[in-house]
Amino acid sequence: MSVQTRQRTPNPHLGAYYGIVASAFVSLVVLLAMAEQLGWTDGTVARLLILIPLLLYLAIAVAARTLDVEDFFTSGRRVPQVYNALLLAAITVGGTGFFAYTGAIFFLGFDALAIGIGWACGLLLSAVLFVPYLRRAGAYTLPAFLGQRFRSPETRLAASAVQVVPTALLLAAEMKIAATVTALFLPASYWLAVLLVAVFVAATGILGGIRTLTWSGSAQFISGAIGLSVPLIVVGVLLTNLPAPQFTYGEMLGSLQSAETAAGMSPVEPGAIAALPAAAPIAAVKPFLQSFGAITESGFFALFLCFTLGTAALPSLLARSGVTGSVADQRRSTAWALLLVALFVITAPSLAVFAKLLMFRDMALIPTQGLPAWLSSLSLGQLAQANDLNGDGTISAGELLISRDGIALALPILAQLPYVLTALMATAGLGIALAAAGSHLFTLGASLADDIYGTLEQKPIVLPRLMTAWAAIGGCAFLVAIYLFIAEVDALRTAVTAFAFAAATFFPVLLLAIWWPRCTAWGALASLATGFAVLFLAVTVGGLFGIAETAAGTAISSLVAAVLAVGAGVGASLYGPEPAAFDTAYYEAMRKPDGETIVDQAQMRAASAANNEED
Amino acid sequence: MTTEIENTVRDRHQLRTLAVAITTVSVALCAVAVAIIYAIALNRLWFLHFPLGFYLLAQGLLIFVVVIAFWYVRVQERIDHTRSLNEEIA
Repeated sequence: MSVQTRQRTPNPHLGAYYGIVASAFVSLVVLLAMAEQLGWTDGTVARLLILIPLLLYLAIAVAARTLDVEDFFTSGRRVPQVYNALLLAAITVGGTGFFAYTGAIFFLGFDALAIGIGWACGLLLSAVLFVPYLRRAGAYTLPAFLGQRFRSPETRLAASAVQVVPTALLLAAEMKIAATVTALFLPASYWLAVLLVAVFVAATGILGGIRTLTWSGSAQFISGAIGLSVPLIVVGVLLTNLPAPQFTYGEMLGSLQSAETAAGMSPVEPGAIAALPAAAPIAAVKPFLQSFGAITESGFFALFLCFTLGTAALPSLLARSGVTGSVADQRRSTAWALLLVALFVITAPSLAVFAKLLMFRDMALIPTQGLPAWLSSLSLGQLAQANDLNGDGTISAGELLISRDGIALALPILAQLPYVLTALMATAGLGIALAAAGSHLFTLGASLADDIYGTLEQKPIVLPRLMTAWAAIGGCAFLVAIYLFIAEVDALRTAVTAFAFAAATFFPVLLLAIWWPRCTAWGALASLATGFAVLFLAVTVGGLFGIAETAAGTAISSLVAAVLAVGAGVGASLYGPEPAAFDTAYYEAMRKPDGETIVDQAQMRAASAANNEED
Repeated sequence: MTTEIENTVRDRHQLRTLAVAITTVSVALCAVAVAIIYAIALNRLWFLHFPLGFYLLAQGLLIFVVVIAFWYVRVQERIDHTRSLNEEIA
């Protein structure tokens, strides 16, 4: 008896559904803008603009709930390429990119560009080197792929264990950003906001795994894109008369340089200021266009390479490699994600330039016109504070302390736009942060449940497969919330460390597993262990020797660890026995560009054998 | 005989895939490396109101990387299609 190939037809009404979602979101913004003009308070406008979309995301998650294992782990392998790209872009950039990266560009200008271009090149490497082969393999998690590639449960367990560090760090960074925004705009303390965010992302993941994350995440991305572009286009039109800020902010660079000089900014030397700005309010002292002022040329290149390798091998991104209908779709999906990320990276400097120009242009007018109106609004929201320390009647750049993660929120206030646009920016960033946090949480929980519990407990009687995943997702959300209660997390610094761990640990082993047929299980284990151990030592005890203290130091350490990991993988593979015939056959099967995934073929063979036995 | 032809088709596919992968990755990484190395010198030139070094890292190279990605997708799909056709013929 033959087994039919599964139908992978996506829902033909998806375009209409998400058109309705986008229209509903835009209508809500327009209604609240009218309500604000009619006298509604800022607080009411902000609360409604944040809570109503959250309820919408939750409703989509409930509608997309599932108890089917294939839907839970791969969304039935029928997600259209562009919808998957929305999620890939949201995971890559995240709330950290939305708030902290834009803030980093505000403070560092040129020097922060290493991160953005690193994300873009990372997605390119991922599309070329890893994604098509992972789609062909069809494993539910990245550790499961390594386990199947080498027929080695030990490799699967080890990969799952080391995957915890980068994924949990990114989850903590995204939840921190989401909780900070929630606490700023809703009548909730930071602790309550952390709890709310943890419950929201855990509920989204538990309801239907990757299926619910895909469909509620698509809505979150759409609201994020609208929320970022509308205030920015309005400010762009006000300043440059054209609605394309990405291409017109160059005209403002001359004015920005004059405003920076008037505020007392002068070129800085590497080491004089931190390589990446801290989350606490600090002074912006580096001129925007100065090249390699906060970071050296080699540090810039190392940070770029670290983000490139880290993005290419990020477990949360690669966990989505099996959700589209074919190898070609998955490859195209990654290219679309790269386009979306590049659009954000191209847009972010315009936001920073507009905010910096508006801020420092007004500061120069203080002796004649007094303190600008926006300063009290920013101070109320704890986004900025100014003190005339030297009593000269002016506020210089060194006397204005600005919150790095609040630059995106400050832009509509600086341009004196209606408050609804500030709330719109907040709900946009919150949506992206929640989409990214949900994906990191799912990757972490699903791997702990499927790769560790599933491998150790071959016949899970106590907890069936989905229940284990639910428990792991809930447990991880709770533990990360506890971590955020007790630890002070700097989202950007944490993200740098997480990408460094992904670059050092997973890039080398994936490169060897996918592109070198001679690689063996011992080689993979050696590579994983070396990459992780070297970077872990550099990050934890390296500070005593001046290693990995700064972001550039962490990036350089991750590159050294990655090179050593490749060497260890090659050495251990060559020293040990040659790969078995099965491993070589798997390697060849992985490179076939069409047909069902290897996992699905195995499942179909098993089902066919069971049917034959019954007959 | 059929296995021999299949192996030839497979090896040819893998060789072309490897060549395209190396070309794509090395072109993108080298372009970024050159832009970083010469950023200070390039910043003396201006393009569309931007210093050229800044423009390349903030916009130009990102557009270039996106173009390369879609070029790669197209070329790789053609290589995959050729393999499928040749395997069917074999």
